[in-house]
Amino acid sequence: MTKKIKVLLAKLGLDVHNRGIITVAKALSRAGMEVVYLGNALPAEIVSVAIQEDADVVGVSSLGGAHISLGSLLLKEAEERGLKDKMAFVMGGVFAPSDGERLKDMGFDGVFVPGATSEQIVSGIQNLA
Amino acid sequence: MKNGIKRTKETLHEALSGQTGRPLYSREALDAIRRGFDQWMETVVREADRDHWRKTPHTVLGSDAPRELLYTPLSDPDFDYERDLGNAGEPPFTRGIHANMYRGREFTMRQLTGFGSPEQTNERLKFMLDHGATGLNILFDLPTIQMYDSDDPFAVGQVGMSGVCVDSVEDMARLFKDVPLDEVTISIVTHYPSNTAILFPMFLALAEERGIPWENLKGSVQNDITLEELIRSGSEYIPPKDCFRIQCDNIEFIRKHVPKWNFVTLNGYNLREFGTSAITEMAVAVLNGMEILEELVRRGYEVDSVADRLAFFWSAANDFFEEVARIRAVRRLWYKIVKYRFHAQNPRAMLMRCHVQTSGVCLIQEEPRNNIIRSAYHALAAVLGGAQSLHVDSYDEAYSVPTEEAALLSLRTQQILQKETGVTEVVDPLGGSFYVEALTREIENRILEEIDEIEALGGYVKAIEGGQVYEKVATYFSDQQRLIEAGEIPVVGQNVYRSAAQGPPIDVFQYPEGVEERQKDRLQKLRLNRDNDKVQTTLNALKDACQKGKNILPYSVACARARCTEGELFKVFKDAFGLWKPPALF
Repeated sequence: MTKKIKVLLAKLGLDVHNRGIITVAKALSRAGMEVVYLGNALPAEIVSVAIQEDADVVGVSSLGGAHISLGSLLLKEAEERGLKDKMAFVMGGVFAPSDGERLKDMGFDGVFVPGATSEQIVSGIQNLA
Repeated sequence: MKNGIKRTKETLHEALSGQTGRPLYSREALDAIRRGFDQWMETVVREADRDHWRKTPHTVLGSDAPRELLYTPLSDPDFDYERDLGNAGEPPFTRGIHANMYRGREFTMRQLTGFGSPEQTNERLKFMLDHGATGLNILFDLPTIQMYDSDDPFAVGQVGMSGVCVDSVEDMARLFKDVPLDEVTISIVTHYPSNTAILFPMFLALAEERGIPWENLKGSVQNDITLEELIRSGSEYIPPKDCFRIQCDNIEFIRKHVPKWNFVTLNGYNLREFGTSAITEMAVAVLNGMEILEELVRRGYEVDSVADRLAFFWSAANDFFEEVARIRAVRRLWYKIVKYRFHAQNPRAMLMRCHVQTSGVCLIQEEPRNNIIRSAYHALAAVLGGAQSLHVDSYDEAYSVPTEEAALLSLRTQQILQKETGVTEVVDPLGGSFYVEALTREIENRILEEIDEIEALGGYVKAIEGGQVYEKVATYFSDQQRLIEAGEIPVVGQNVYRSAAQGPPIDVFQYPEGVEERQKDRLQKLRLNRDNDKVQTTLNALKDACQKGKNILPYSVACARARCTEGELFKVFKDAFGLWKPPALF
């Protein structure tokens, strides 16, 4: 009866740093989840693919400073297309601790900062799905 | 590398194996040392230490080369001073590229700067110059790096974040307002060949408008295929072979017209930070350097006239002695390659000049002030290795772009090294250490082995296309992550000595807001006020040059003068070369 958790991962916008998200993609798939890695994409595309793939969780990565600007666009897009209650949205990357709080206040269901272990990310996502 | 060409390892082996050496240690001395050593091993060394004589330190971004407990003349019995070291400024340049090293010229203190609008970065540039920085490193925002205009849908929310935005020559003028372009050395961190071919012409057009002859400009661009096709994560890529061609077009043009400018920074740094070993970092950059030399020779240039301006860019990470040994090792190897494989004549062409940046990946969020200490060790290793210029990462970079306070602290780290510690007084102070020399040799061999592996695949550009280099990197960084999480790579404050209290919070740089709107307005005005017929003509000519295999730089300079925007030029590249899909890593 247990359906595989399906996670859509994407680099938010033009950010070039993809080591983290590839590491996470591998860890999630090792933990038995189905992972779709979109590469670099803007919020509208991420949301369209999330609907198409019927993902349980959408994870985005930002290390280039656009976590707030593009993060809020992503949530707005998800809200408008009625996804916010159907899927969990998580963000990982490099940003100030206060911004991590701000992302949660904005509506992200999970926020992962550098130092988060694969185990923490896997269990965090399992709990959200 | 074409088929039929002898591989580098084999070439060097043949060239060097015939040379008769003059070993430093006599047989007699070595025999006596061996007897004493064996006895010491039997009677003094504890069994446990004997059993684990060789130990492999696991370090962030390290090579995993095993280390012995103690190094002696027996570690390298054939050690030959003239062949293996030589005096400083003399072949094989192991000890440094200049005879007097830092007494003659202090290492350039170069700190990366760039955020927000061109005006905001201009303020920070002047602040750094006022506080004694001797070079400038300009860092661009993501849309500029990825070659989209600030009003492109792809740029939304990212204009002026983590770098400065530049759309046209007019932004270049704002960025360098009141900065004497011919007095400071300026490193324009363009990253890719494609954006070098777009942004550097804007810089040249600006110099022209200010009446500064191109011959007087001093600095560097990155212009590196590794960054564009391997490390980068992006939405659109041109094919590697076209990227390599643009890399060489840039080199050819700059060599001819901007003679004091370093036209390529063979980048190991970003690949290593992306997540690869101390060895792969150097193998890949050396391979790229070799393929550039081959191509420029094919285009009719003397190898000496190109090699004498190549510069490398290395990362300095945690394994202190390894970092020192690496810089020395690659300096010796590069000398051998340029001399014996490319048959250069001018010793200047055989020098491995390098800029070193301390590792950002080694910096962590937990107890961020510890990062100051990490970076200072990295910087010391770079100086003991004989780097020409240095950037010290700031302690808050695991959070954001550095604050002004953190950036100043990085500059001070360099100044303390240079002025207070005395380490710059003596050339190659670790030269002759049994350990450092053995490690230098070991690392040189390992780099050459990895070069050989990639040459066997058909060369570097081929191995990017085929995905093998990418695979190698991804395997390494997944392993590193696992080792850190398992505690096998100790990270203080994270997996060892983790403390509940995080210490007082630090100030974190806040990304400026409102830059995007201002930049969009500017672009709109630019497009209204420029001569759009001329824009179209110059863009068409550029496309034609791309398709006909002419050097594209004269055409992109014409575009910059006509006030074409960055996105317009990138579109020409995409139309002319088509798009390439990199091998899927996941």
